[in-house]
Amino acid sequence: MRALPASATSGLVPALDPGRYRARPTRARRLRALRRAFLIGLLIAGGLLMMAPFLWMISTSLKTRAEVFADSPSFLPLVPQWHNYPDMWNALPFGAFFVNSVKLAGLNTIGQLISCSMAAFAFAALRFRFRERLFALLLVTLIIPFQVVLVPNFVLYRLLPHPASASGNWIGTQEPLWVGAFLGGAFGTFLLRQFFLAIPRELSDAARVDGANPWHIYRQIYLPLAKPALATLGIFTFMWTWNDLIDPIIYLRDIPSFTLTAGLSLFQGQYVGRWPLLMAGALVSVIPMIVLFVIAQRQFVRGIAMTGIKG
Amino acid sequence: MIGLRRPAPRRGGGPLAGDGRWALLFLAPTLLGLAVLSAGPILATLAISLTKWDLLTAPKLVGLTNYTALLTDDRFLKALRNTFFYTAVSVPLGLTLALGLAIALNQRIRGIAWIRTAYFLPVVTSTIAIALVWQWIYSPDSGLLNQATGLVGIPSQKWLSDPTLAMPAIIAMSIWQGLGTNVIIFLAGLQAIPSELLDAASVDGAGRWARFRNIALPLLTPAIFFTGVLALIDSFQVFDQIFVLSRPRPTDATITIVYFIYENGFKFFKMGYASAASWVLFLIVGVFSVVYFRSQDRWVHYQ
Repeated sequence: MRALPASATSGLVPALDPGRYRARPTRARRLRALRRAFLIGLLIAGGLLMMAPFLWMISTSLKTRAEVFADSPSFLPLVPQWHNYPDMWNALPFGAFFVNSVKLAGLNTIGQLISCSMAAFAFAALRFRFRERLFALLLVTLIIPFQVVLVPNFVLYRLLPHPASASGNWIGTQEPLWVGAFLGGAFGTFLLRQFFLAIPRELSDAARVDGANPWHIYRQIYLPLAKPALATLGIFTFMWTWNDLIDPIIYLRDIPSFTLTAGLSLFQGQYVGRWPLLMAGALVSVIPMIVLFVIAQRQFVRGIAMTGIKG
Repeated sequence: MIGLRRPAPRRGGGPLAGDGRWALLFLAPTLLGLAVLSAGPILATLAISLTKWDLLTAPKLVGLTNYTALLTDDRFLKALRNTFFYTAVSVPLGLTLALGLAIALNQRIRGIAWIRTAYFLPVVTSTIAIALVWQWIYSPDSGLLNQATGLVGIPSQKWLSDPTLAMPAIIAMSIWQGLGTNVIIFLAGLQAIPSELLDAASVDGAGRWARFRNIALPLLTPAIFFTGVLALIDSFQVFDQIFVLSRPRPTDATITIVYFIYENGFKFFKMGYASAASWVLFLIVGVFSVVYFRSQDRWVHYQ
């Protein structure tokens, strides 16, 4: 009985309302407006604080070196030094870094989408022995820090022969940075399985009666229905690969094969203190992710809310 | 009734019962990955940790020597201490800030989507790009932070090379970068709270704080638990920030376990030693996860 809608108690019958200020509506309204304004001001200030490093990055990237180290530097550059961008771009093969990052992020995305959706389909729609135990094993690998297996993975790739590599094995090639993505993953499988479990069994029952085999059911029923979940996994895989630092610096040896993150790391080592160029490089490397985020904001937010994926 | 009976299920029941061979086909990539890239290598790490191996000569079995050496390695002990410090500060502080922000952002204000985007932008950008900017912000000469503190009369600091300030400076950047993720999870949790509950409490005379403390907070505990797991695992793996901000090489003040693994494995090529450190990391994360999961009966309220 107590759960009356708020509208039934407020305004019309102030005497029943326990709110402290509501007996005097004008003061209450003023107070509430004040609190709201204060809150909005706080949020905007906080938002600016969150944006400040980005704005500082942009502003620095357009300054001269002298301006950067001036005693009382201004926030905006006096004359925007647009040439910092081509200077940065030509200082190292950034064009190649960009292509490598796109290529590796794309390959990882494709690999994860294929292999994780197949495994997720098996766990959600097929019956077989050891299914629960195998799924449990996969889930355990979800909380294992991947750094724990850095050494054995490195040793494994060192054993695999590679005709086009200076070392004769996979070390120094880009292969270790994408082949593994085609071999499934706990996170993607878990995410897609959750989604597949919500697909009504009747659909595959009916298809089965019509003579469809599991491959048909996977391709023609499960995959088309799971597009939102596939989009979420794809975007996150792309972002993770794009932002990955430790694997490229461990496996890549030749500068032209570097990703943007490895290239930035090299750039940082070579251009110590040359902030305008470093900021220009950092900005160029983050723009694609920011564009992707703005385009696919809904998938990002839904993906995180759904699964708590880390950026 | 007889006519409507479903076809008898094969072994195990279900519409696709007994599809062992199909399952093998669909799971082939995953099984290979488990064997050679994730689950299998955990055991390989254990095996390698019992050897001395520089990759060039054959591995030599040395028993537990690597582990006993770790216990007396000052740099490893510093790495352990720094990682625990990082976790103990960044996890609770990051979660509390995110919760407060989520509550503040959970309202209908025009343009709120823009503010939310601002909070989320650092999440999608790479740590190396972010860390480069922060290195510049923390720069001892003309960095933004020293200029700002200079305005209120605080003398310039060497934020990243001062042993007492370096770790807090790195933590501040990490919290800034990770805030958006937790805010979104908390926002989703807040929006799932039935408004009738809050209204009812309001009718009963509960104030703002009482409503938050007695209704919203208990209902949010699953989200808090969940973000806690992620933050915990994430903070034990901290590497990128250290790699970029502690250039050229972290001092004892900022080295972390993962950096220690990277340094020994891929700079000094002490594969056995790095594997032993990896196994210690695995045990720490395992123990923390078990303790944390066990604790949920006491404070997490599932509806």
